[in-house]
Amino acid sequence: MSGNHTTTRRKILKGAGAAGIAGLAGCSGGGGDSGSEPIELLHAWSSGDGNAAIGALIKGFQDAHPDVEFAEEPVNGAARGNLDQVVSNRLQANDPPSTFQSWPGKTLEKFGEAYADIEGDVWTDDLKSNYLPGPKRQAQLDGTYVTVPLNIHRINNLFYNVPVLEEAGVDPDSLSSPADVVDACEAVATNTDAVPFAQQTSGAWSTVQLWETVLLAEAGIGGYRSFIEGNGDTEQVRAALENVVALSDYYPGDASSISFTEANTMVMEGDAAFIHQGDWAAGAYSGADEFNYGDDWGQVTYPGTSGSYLLNMDSFPYFADNPSPEATKTFLSYCGSAEGQVLFNREKGSIPPRKDADVSSLNAFQQDQYDDFTSAENQPPSVQHGLAVSPGVSTNIASAFSSFLENYDAEETANELVDAFQ
Amino acid sequence: MSDAFAGGSDRRDRLKRVALYAVLVAMAGFYLIPIETGLMTAITSPETYTGQTPFLPPLEPLVSGTGSFSLAPWANAFDGLARGLANSFILVVPATVLSGLLGSMAAYGLTNVEWRGQIAVYVLFIAGIFIPYQAVLVPLTQFWYNVVPLQAAFGPLAAAVPLVQEYHWKLVALIVTHTAYGIPICTLLFRAHYKKLSDEMIEAARLDGASVSTIYRRIVLPLSVPMFAVVFIYQFTQIWNDLLFALTIVQFGDASVVTQELVGIGVSQSGTNFPLRMAAALLAALPTLVVYVLFGDKFAKGVTA
Amino acid sequence: MLETLKDRYSRTGEESTVRSLLDRESVRSAPFWGPPFLLVALFVYGAVVWNGVLSLTDFTGIGSPDYGTLDFENYVVAFTGGTPTWSDLTVDPIWNSAQNTVVLMIVFAAVCLALGLVLAILVDRGIRFENTFRTIYLLPMSLSFVVTAKFWLYMYNPQTGLINIGIQALGFGPVEFVQNPELKLGAVAFALIWQFSGYAMIVYLAALRGIPSSHFEAARVDGASTVRMYRRVIVPQLRTATVSALVVITVFALKAFDFLFSMYGGYQPGPSADILATRMVREAYANQNWAYGSTIAVVLFVMALFIIAPYIYSQYRRGEL
Repeated sequence: MSGNHTTTRRKILKGAGAAGIAGLAGCSGGGGDSGSEPIELLHAWSSGDGNAAIGALIKGFQDAHPDVEFAEEPVNGAARGNLDQVVSNRLQANDPPSTFQSWPGKTLEKFGEAYADIEGDVWTDDLKSNYLPGPKRQAQLDGTYVTVPLNIHRINNLFYNVPVLEEAGVDPDSLSSPADVVDACEAVATNTDAVPFAQQTSGAWSTVQLWETVLLAEAGIGGYRSFIEGNGDTEQVRAALENVVALSDYYPGDASSISFTEANTMVMEGDAAFIHQGDWAAGAYSGADEFNYGDDWGQVTYPGTSGSYLLNMDSFPYFADNPSPEATKTFLSYCGSAEGQVLFNREKGSIPPRKDADVSSLNAFQQDQYDDFTSAENQPPSVQHGLAVSPGVSTNIASAFSSFLENYDAEETANELVDAFQ
Repeated sequence: MSDAFAGGSDRRDRLKRVALYAVLVAMAGFYLIPIETGLMTAITSPETYTGQTPFLPPLEPLVSGTGSFSLAPWANAFDGLARGLANSFILVVPATVLSGLLGSMAAYGLTNVEWRGQIAVYVLFIAGIFIPYQAVLVPLTQFWYNVVPLQAAFGPLAAAVPLVQEYHWKLVALIVTHTAYGIPICTLLFRAHYKKLSDEMIEAARLDGASVSTIYRRIVLPLSVPMFAVVFIYQFTQIWNDLLFALTIVQFGDASVVTQELVGIGVSQSGTNFPLRMAAALLAALPTLVVYVLFGDKFAKGVTA
Repeated sequence: MLETLKDRYSRTGEESTVRSLLDRESVRSAPFWGPPFLLVALFVYGAVVWNGVLSLTDFTGIGSPDYGTLDFENYVVAFTGGTPTWSDLTVDPIWNSAQNTVVLMIVFAAVCLALGLVLAILVDRGIRFENTFRTIYLLPMSLSFVVTAKFWLYMYNPQTGLINIGIQALGFGPVEFVQNPELKLGAVAFALIWQFSGYAMIVYLAALRGIPSSHFEAARVDGASTVRMYRRVIVPQLRTATVSALVVITVFALKAFDFLFSMYGGYQPGPSADILATRMVREAYANQNWAYGSTIAVVLFVMALFIIAPYIYSQYRRGEL
């Protein structure tokens, strides 16, 4: 986003305040001197592990700070997009919440000027020295610390069903490139009745994730970085797409009408060999009886991407016109602590972004992931999950993939993806 | 009318009749089979569902491969949709009644009067039927979220009145919106009816000195009962089935209506979800299906009258 | 009626020029049509006008719309593409979704009417259980687009869908409909036809019932075959019914957003099935390009106007308003 554009937005926002929109909407916008106001936290973790995780975080925080009140407002049943909608409405009425569940990174540009600098208050030296460079960069908007990443879901995983791969005679650890995955799928197809690669194509997001992972594997961290900076090499992008096209021969026959959970269930029930997903897929595995890590399912870093931990994170940003400035900062500091992050991630199935967390209370899979993370040379941000590209570019990429799912035309889509930044 | 076609040999006629019924039954199959398949899938236990014969009833262990009978998908669907169903009822009842009543009033006000301007006003009502929702969405979102302090008003109200929740403001906004958009079609339906009402009876009442509103209450309204049935059926279906207004006015959260909840059903639950999805689709469709099966005939007559 | 009123007013000694009488009538009936009219004027026409103004702004959801600088930039972008001042990125023109909209409307309306007419003629041939058949044919119309999409997504499923089970029973491979660029718009149209052809049927049926049976008999006396009779004598008398069914069905097609949103689980049905209705909502609510969404909405509104204006005018000419 150009500097020019952001200035326009800032003007508009100030103008709105002056016009008294807040008064019109009957809201209590502004204020800000009372530290005793309850924290208003908007999130969409209304069920399942997400709900348990935010519950554990808030409980831990209240035990540590019994004086701070909470007006937690889960936005029930909402997708993240809906949450952005609410925040957009609230900002328009000059009535921001204290904080809300947001992807960090380039997603922050959406409400860019509404955030305030929390370097020093929240981002102390302790945080700065204990976050790895990748997550730390994502906490900043144009070099200013405005948000606190809370968890990390990894994107470059390849999960597999152990008995199915044994039957197929495939050793997952021997795979070293995306092309090897295609060969392994062929072996599964030949030797078993299982679907080689469980994937859903009713929505584009799973395919975007897969492609960005393959791009990272084939073009390397340099090629990946060039792409997300808008200088992508069309050849590299096309090659990655061609690998996805090759893999698509091994999808379930009804990939276009199933959802992610159904694809994931295929792996759990031994009807499919592989699935590429963020590590939330493992959340369903650990919830299942008699489906154990190591014996029944396993995970490898997506072949070709070792040394990289492809990041998807959630974070809590800080609004400038904060209704509860002190309390919000206290809470964000807690979110930045190893204690708070462990409480949250134990339930969520993700890992803490801090490198000094005591993860002994996390499960074996999470601990393995955490080891991978702390030893990863690179922690690049995910394209699909809003970290790597601005919302507008993200929209263009989504629409490029909605046509890719129709025609699987690598050439055309590669051009659209590289042009997505213009 | 069949008499008009009598003639030709009896056998050829009978053959023709058989062919006619065959086509009619085949078409009935065409319209019913997606619903039937959905129903059969919805009563299959998810664990035994194979998808090989989705249109057959689940008869395991009698017929293998069909899955075994279970109402579990319905229970799950109800859990997933309960809140949406409740909100939809809160929305649909007042919106249907209000739009019907206001439509009847508008039709009366524009029918039993001699006033040159009425055609112009009426044209505006009629054109309103055909305006695509998209043409008003952005202003409506702006209006309900940033102009009308409805949400602020509902805070104290929710605290003071039992059963009222703060999020109900969104349903009120949706009720008003649906009422406004329902008035045009209701006016059209009622006006067609009122034009056929006996002038004499109304004239007689006028001569007796009855006021315009007395005539409406004493004569027109009682005579409108059959038309109200048609209008209510139509509006009930329209409002219950709508997604777009809910998506842009409620957006998400506690006030979500059933169509919104249905879109995402099965996405967050794990397992093979076709039984659940179908049960949810049927559950969400149940009120309007029942209304159509019971009163569809009345509706067909009313709409085309 | 006019005469009677005039008499009455003169009798009661109130002043009695015809003109003021008319005014009084309008005033006295105003409490009835006034409140509903106000609601419609505010929420329908007020919103349409407001939307038109919004389409001239650069509103992207932050702050409030700036009504100070209005221009037609969004329309230029909508028709030619390019980079608008409110974005750093190029925006595609609307031609693709406009074309899909028109194709969908024409295919959907034509097949609906044809199927509806055939069904109406069959049902009109003095059959037994007529009510049952009619109710069944009309049943899908009671469903929400969201429900229809769930059913048809299942029907089209390459593995467990009935359509593919049928195709495979005939010895052909499974066909992918939902994401197939050649077939997906057709698949959408087919599901919509399933849902609404029953409506065309009842409209035609009512019209057929309105044709005096002497017309049927006259044709028979002339010795015309049944098919010929319908083509020459009956169908030409169904013009009014066709027009009114067409208008309603076209409007249903404009609302297909709900169906696509449900079928594709969001705002991205893909370029082959993207229609103006989905593009509009996507731009405004997913991409926060509010003003641009308003612009597409104006285009949709104008399209609707092209359909309804001639209809209302012809109704007016025939004195049916």
